[in-house]
Order: sequence, then structure tokens, then C-alpha cells
Amino acid sequence: MRDTPPIIHRLQKKRAQNFQEGTVLSYTVLAHPPKTFKGQRTIGLIELEDGTRVLAPLLTRHPAIGMHVHPRMRLSYVTNEKLRVYEVAYESPVDVPASVPEGSAILTRGFPGYILALTGPSGVGKSTVSLLLLQTFSEYIAQVPILTTRAPKESDEDEYVYVSKAEFDALHAEGKLAAATQIPSLTEDRWYGYRTSDIEAIWSAGKLPVVITEMHLLEQVANHYGRRSILSFGLLPPGNSKRKMLSALLHRLRQRGRDTEEAMQERLKNAEADLAFFHKRRDLFDHLLVNEDLESLMDVFRKNVPGLSEA
Amino acid sequence: MKQRNGTIPSMPTPAITGFGVYLPQFRIRTAEIAKHWGQDPSSITSSLGVREKTVAGSDEDSFTMAFEAGKQAIAMAGIRSSEVSAVFAGSESHVYAVKPTSGMLAAALELDPFCYCADLEFACKAGTAAMQIIASMVKSGEVSYGLAVGTDRAQARPGDALEYTASAGAAAFVIGPEHAKGALCRIERTLSFTTDTPDFWRASDERYPRHAGRFTGEPGYFRHVREVIQGMLELTKLKPRDITHLVLHMPNAKFPQKVARDLGFTEEQLELGLVVREIGNTYSACSLIGLARVLEEANRGDVILLASYGSGAGADALLCTMLKQGVRLPPDERPVEYLSYSTYATMNA
Amino acid sequence: MNREISLIGIGQTKFGEWWERSLRDLLAEAILKTLDSSPCTPLDIDAVIVANMLGEWTDDQAHLGALTASLLPHHPPALRVEAACASGSVALYTACALLESQRAQTVLVVGAEKMTNASGDAIQVALMGAADSEHDQPCGLTFAGIFALIAQRYLHDYGLTREDLSIVSAVHHRNAKGNPFAQFRQEITVEAVSESPLVADPLRLLDCSPVSDGAAACILSTKFKSPLRIRASQVSTDTLSLTERTEITSFQSTKAAVERAFAEAEITRDDVRALETHDCFSIAALVNLEDLGFAEPGRGIEIYKKIFEEDEYPFFLNRSGGLKACGHPVAATGVKQVLDVAKELQTAKLRFGLAHNIGGAGATCGMHILEYTNA
Repeated sequence: MRDTPPIIHRLQKKRAQNFQEGTVLSYTVLAHPPKTFKGQRTIGLIELEDGTRVLAPLLTRHPAIGMHVHPRMRLSYVTNEKLRVYEVAYESPVDVPASVPEGSAILTRGFPGYILALTGPSGVGKSTVSLLLLQTFSEYIAQVPILTTRAPKESDEDEYVYVSKAEFDALHAEGKLAAATQIPSLTEDRWYGYRTSDIEAIWSAGKLPVVITEMHLLEQVANHYGRRSILSFGLLPPGNSKRKMLSALLHRLRQRGRDTEEAMQERLKNAEADLAFFHKRRDLFDHLLVNEDLESLMDVFRKNVPGLSEA
Repeated sequence: MKQRNGTIPSMPTPAITGFGVYLPQFRIRTAEIAKHWGQDPSSITSSLGVREKTVAGSDEDSFTMAFEAGKQAIAMAGIRSSEVSAVFAGSESHVYAVKPTSGMLAAALELDPFCYCADLEFACKAGTAAMQIIASMVKSGEVSYGLAVGTDRAQARPGDALEYTASAGAAAFVIGPEHAKGALCRIERTLSFTTDTPDFWRASDERYPRHAGRFTGEPGYFRHVREVIQGMLELTKLKPRDITHLVLHMPNAKFPQKVARDLGFTEEQLELGLVVREIGNTYSACSLIGLARVLEEANRGDVILLASYGSGAGADALLCTMLKQGVRLPPDERPVEYLSYSTYATMNA
Repeated sequence: MNREISLIGIGQTKFGEWWERSLRDLLAEAILKTLDSSPCTPLDIDAVIVANMLGEWTDDQAHLGALTASLLPHHPPALRVEAACASGSVALYTACALLESQRAQTVLVVGAEKMTNASGDAIQVALMGAADSEHDQPCGLTFAGIFALIAQRYLHDYGLTREDLSIVSAVHHRNAKGNPFAQFRQEITVEAVSESPLVADPLRLLDCSPVSDGAAACILSTKFKSPLRIRASQVSTDTLSLTERTEITSFQSTKAAVERAFAEAEITRDDVRALETHDCFSIAALVNLEDLGFAEPGRGIEIYKKIFEEDEYPFFLNRSGGLKACGHPVAATGVKQVLDVAKELQTAKLRFGLAHNIGGAGATCGMHILEYTNA
């Protein structure tokens, strides 16, 4: 490679315009790149946000076509005259491994170590959003069932697994729960949690586990697997002030007609705490979404969850 | 505060209007290094108070990290990069001996080409020295906005005690006038105390620094940090209890804890900025990253006292007041990767 | 084509690693064999066109036109043509232009490359000159990497499997058993291809044409006649870099050249009975069939499968062994392909054949249609 100072100088002027996010169109891993580079090199053909395309190193260990990437400034190599050449490389913020089983035609997506979380206060419309999410992306995601010690309710769908308190405690003691929390209520003490085996089963099936959850369980899952294992979406009611949001929630709860007035007031109190949680623990959320338009919400997921862009 | 004829006052009080931090995604635990050298992991970890440190990838250096931090700072400041017309970069590991990191940053970050640039070296206080210089340039009206950077890819001789803590990272601060939109933290005063003390040095043809063992403690770190803090408190007529957050240079966790205690500060005041426990000593970026952590969480009206230390030796102090609620940095979603000692050694080669 | 151009002589060296032969030795051998096979004498040669890409890298030798012309006693006019791996066909195209304009009536075209002079690493870097020095080289890409990007996308878009891709090289090796000039004449199994060392994911060692030394030459004439005619000579170009294309699993230059070639020769696709395509990498063989219009996008493998599994072929396809088994001394290939098509038409008494040669990742495409009038 010709890397005299004038050539490097001209090349580096163009660098700034490549510092954009992009999508991977194709990639390869070079077993023997030119000697100036040490070791294997993963190169991607990337389409940047402004439509231009670049060939650049991919820093992610498991590239996939369609993966969304961010730019990073990196040292490319040092010339024989000890001049340093820098380049823009691209990384996936969430390292999603994609394994290609022998002889398989299509790249299968495996997501071990990575969980999609959707958190929101009661009444914000989590069930509606999650139902659409699971339907739209059914090939790629699967809901993690919630373990609960409370009795089944008529309005329950199949998102719960009902266990006795004793069973719950046993699982908890054996360390088989990724999260466990108690939601005190006027009527009964209810424990909720997620089994690590349920999450792992979804990973083994090559799908992305989704938890439709609340703040305490979210915190615990983040502690259990590590914050960076969660791609976390918060769902907020419409409204630009807390008062407006709460009134929107109350309206929805009333419309839902599932709860008594007493239960609704309790939900609203929890909701207030939930909204405060979004602010105080903003570090637990990667994206905060407002539940207004379901289609555009699905687009947000499509755009921000690696692997879903092709769905 | 505009004068009546509508112009900006010629001696604006400088304020931090944006900040950024870059840490590599690799870590190595103190215990892992200790095990490699046949030392007792838990006693080393507890004596230093440092659990793990950051490790730069082989394609990262003081420039790439400074760039990332600078980009983040300018984004937070909400100004165009061309509005920044000064950048001073402090490091002990500038990528060249001759060819400045600051110049490379000015070009890569697309700052105003009419830009004041120079590289600084004063061991671990080169970053705060940059802040002092930029603050002065803003105050004197020489520039509207400037960028102060502390960045290091610290090298330590394998087997030396420094190996447990010498880490890699960068922090950058955009400093502008306090009336700027989004101004976060006003820099009230700065002060520096300097002597010629041979506690830690690196000859230009040597790869690793050398240090004088326990001499780096009292005559080095403790004396200078004490002098500059006491000097600052006297100057500003403040008492330790008036300070909400104390951020110090952190060669480990014990030194700052001790000097804070000796000077009458509490553990609570030190807690937020004590980042060394999870990331090690990022040298010129060290106290700056501690400050960034505080700037994320502090409340309006909080008073922050930052005192850094650079071997050779000197200490810088900055006294600041939060103008508004702290601002969180965008979360780093990259998975943290813990290295074995052998991978770490190869990466550092 | 406004003149009747006949192919009156052919000759080539065996392709392979020739440690004892220099670039000049290879040129001389190919030229001597060609002259031996032609009705004309050396003095009849009006012009010499040399195709070569890497002379400066391998031999510190530019100025190959004059160097080659001085092999002939009368030092005819000469020039060197470079279009990366399409140098050979572009040299033939240039010869046709000289013949059509009647600046020359008998032209010697020779393509030669001496790749083993330089180290593997140096050659890898040199070959990247066929790609874009500003868009493609800085990130450390190699040519195998460029075609790997194409292959990776092709596998993704069309669901091609690793086993299927391996059939391509297996077919080419099987074909080369009957070619005494081929570098590799042993059969290889599909498993061997699939398990060969990874070069650039997903391409493996046996997906890639080798580094070779060799030369191939021919004589084209409007003065001397033969039953082998050049009925079309077309060259088209495209951007060097994949970053400036809208799709990467197809080469626009091939598509443009093939339509013009059929129009020039006044034939259709169905008339083609012998085809030599540019399989620099196995994936290129599939892309080429699709770009030439012999298969729908994503279905090029079906032709190879039929050949491999059922011994059924719609036309002779890389019967020489292609670039994979013959070897690929870069600039010699375009000329050698025309030699092979000519031999196939003659031996099997077929009428029309097509030689498809590309440079870089389809940045140049050179195409020739031959007619054997005694078919």
C-alpha cells in the first residue's frame, strides 16, 4: 500500500464524513489480510445514514447482514516510517452473535446473552404493544413467561406460569430465578419472577427472549445478566407532564374495565412510582417510547433491535 | 448577563457546557493480575481498593479515545464543532513525541481551523491543566468555546505495583461562557501548587515510568493535594463542609480516601467521584472522569471541588458550582469483556 | 465488426509455477508456438499487443510492448494494455480496432504474467490495484475479501449452501483433466472444497483461482483467412469499487457487454455452444452465468449441479477447467479463453462460442464471440 505522507494526508481528510451510523450490507473475515495489519480482520460493506457506502473494519465479533452499526475512531496501522494511520471502524452496540450451522442455507440468528425488555406502568398499553410485537416478529422473538404465586385471573392470557409460594421460594433459594419481586397489594402478597431456564430455552431455540415487565423485575434482570445484556425499552403514556400522563393512564384503566375503582387507584399509585423510576433510573433504559401509534412503534423496534430489520 | 449595548461581557465566567468520557470495553480484574504474579488476590484488591481496570484494545490509543470523548462533549454542549476554537490535550502517552494530539483532534473533530492548540504533559494533572488554560481563555474573551482533554493509555512495567491500576481512558470538557445555553457547571476559581519532586518520571527513551515507592506518598501526592486544597479553601473562604462533592486524583482508592479524611472531608463527599474502584487510574483522565461522574448526578447549586495531582510534582484545584441538574451521558451499550492476563499482556505489547 | 477477422494462430505455455522461466521466456514460448501454428511468417506481423498487469511489481519491468516486439526481427509497432484481469480481452479488443481500421492487417496478441517472482503478500497487495485505492484498499481488503463480500451477500439473498458452492470448483477440476495446459489436472471432491482453509469468509482456498505464471498468444488477421472468425469484440466498464454500485451480486458490465456482443455477432444466447467464463472465485462463476443470461439470479448453481450430478450440460462450460483449474496468470487469461473456445468449437464442430473475461470486481468486462465456419 502506498502510504506516503501526502497520500495519508488526503485520505484522512475524508474520514470525518464517514463518522455516521449505518447498516451492514455484507461482511467477510479475512484470514490473511495484508501484513501491515496484525491478525484476522473483519471488513464490512456498510451503508451509512446519508446513503453513501463504505468498506471498513467491523469491530463486532458476530456480524450479520442488516445489523445496525455505530462509528468508532480506531488506529488502522503504523507505517514503516512510524506515521499513524487512523480509520473509522464500525461496531454493533449490542454484540448479537449470529451462528451459521453447518449446511444451513440462511443465517440463523442466535441471541445468547441478550434480552429485549419492555417496561411500562399499568394501563400504558403494554399488553397491546407486546402482543403486536410478538405477532409481527414471531420468527425472531419469544416471550419469557412470568412466574407468579397469585391465583389465575379471568383476564389473564398465557403469559403467566402459576406456582405455589413454596415452589417459588424453592426456585429462588436454588438460584434458578433471574429476577424475583413482591408486588404488595391490598388483597394478597404476590410474587413474580423469571426462570433462568425459560430464558435459556429461548436462546437455545435461536430466538430473542422478550420480557414484558415492571421496574423491579427489570432491575433484577439487569443485575443478573448485566446491564449490557438488556436492550431496554420504556413505554410511556402520552402527555408532556406527569399529571397529564397519569390522567391518560387513569383514562385507559377505566376503559379497560378490568379493575375495581380501588384496584385502579392502587395501580395509579404504582404508576406514579413507575414514572418516577423512568427518570431516576434512566440508565436502565436504552429507548423511551410513547405509546401513541402502534405502527410507528413497530418501526422503532425494527430499527433498533439488531436482526429485526429484515422482519 | 448582557451589558446594555447588547454585547457579551468581555470577561465571562467560564463554565462547563458539555462533557464526554470514553472507556475501552476491556477490563482486567486486580485478582487476575495478582494470580498471575503469585500474589494474594484479595489482599492486593483490598489494599488498593481497586477491583478492576480498563484495558485499551490494540487499535486504540490516546488519540482515538480523546476523539470519542471530545465528540461526545461537543454533542452534549449542543454547539457546532466549528464554534470551538481552542483545544488543549493533556496526556502522558501522546501518540507522538513530536506531532500534537491536539492538532489531530482539531482536524478530526472539525473544529474552527483558526484554533489554539497545544499538547500538555504534567503526569496525571495534564488534563486539569488543560481545563485551567481553556477556562482562562474563555474568561479573557480570547475564545468563546474551548475543549479541554485528558487522555491516557497508561503503561506500567509488568510485575510492577503500578500494573494493578494503570488503565486507559479519556475525558473531554467543553468550556464556554456561563450564560451559554445548557451551561452546566460554573468554574469559580482555579489554583495550582507546584514543586520539583522526583517521585515518578519517565525518560524519553524509556517505555515504562519509574517511581520512588513510598516517596510518592507523603512528599508527593499527599503534600501537594493538601496544599492546593487548603490554598483553595483559604482563597474562597470555604470550609470542607461547604463542599458537596470532592473529586481527587485517584492513583488507587486509598490515597484519596486518606487525604480527604485528613482534611476533614467525609466519605459521602468523596463517594460519587471515586471511579478508580471500577476503572483504575486513567492518569490524565483520572480526576476528569471522576468529575464527569459527578456532573451526571449532581444537583443544581452543588459545590464541587476538584483537586488533581501530577507527579514531578504539582496539584491543580478547580472550584465549581452546578448551574443546573446533572446530565447523564448516553449509556455505553458495548458488552464489557474481562481479559485473562495473557490476552492483556499481548494487547499491551 | 466491419471486417472479417480470422484467428489464424494460437499458442500458450502450460500455466503453473515456473521457477526456471522468466517473463521473457514465457512470452517467447507462447509467441513461438503461435507462429508455428499460423500460416504467416514473423515478418507478416504488423503490430504486437501485449497484455500484462503486474510487470512493474514482479519484474520492475514496464514498456512490455517494445520488449516483446524486439523478439521479432523487424521490430513492429507495439503497445502494452492493462485492464487488470481483463487485460487479455482488452488487448484482443484493441487488436480488432487496429484490424477494423486497417492500420494493421495481421496482429499478434500475447498475454503474460510472472506472478511467482513476488511474495504471496506482495502479490496480494499488487492485485488490489484492480480495485479502488481510495475506497477499497485502506481498510486492508484483499481481492478474495471483495469476492467474499459478494459471496456472503449472495448466500444471504439466495440461500445458496456451502456444499452447493463447492460443486463449482469440483466441476472445473473435473473438466481440466482433459486440458494438458492446465495447472491442476486432478479431480477434487466437494468435501475437499468445503473443508479447505478459510481465506475470506465464506470463501475457502479451493474456491479461489491460484497464483500462476504463464503466457497465451494468438494472431488475428484480415489478410490471412481461417474458419475461426471473431464475430464480436466488446468491452464495457463499471465503477471499480463495490461501494459505488447499487447491487453487488451481479456485474452490470457483463450485462452491458453481452447484449452488445450478441447484437454485433447477430446471434442469440441460444446459439452459444461453448462458453468460457471468468471464475476468478467460485462465486463469480455463478454470478457470470446469471449476468450472461443463462440462468435467473440465484439459480446459476442449477447448471453446475446438472453438469456435476448428471453429466448433462446445455453447452460446454469452462471445459478448459476455468481459471480455478487452469490457473490464472492475470493478463494471460483473457487470451487463453479465446484459445480454449476456438479449440472447443473446432474439436466438437460447434458453431458459436463466447469468451467472458472480467477485470477486478467486474470493473471491466471483455467479451468475444467466435464462429467456427466449418461446423
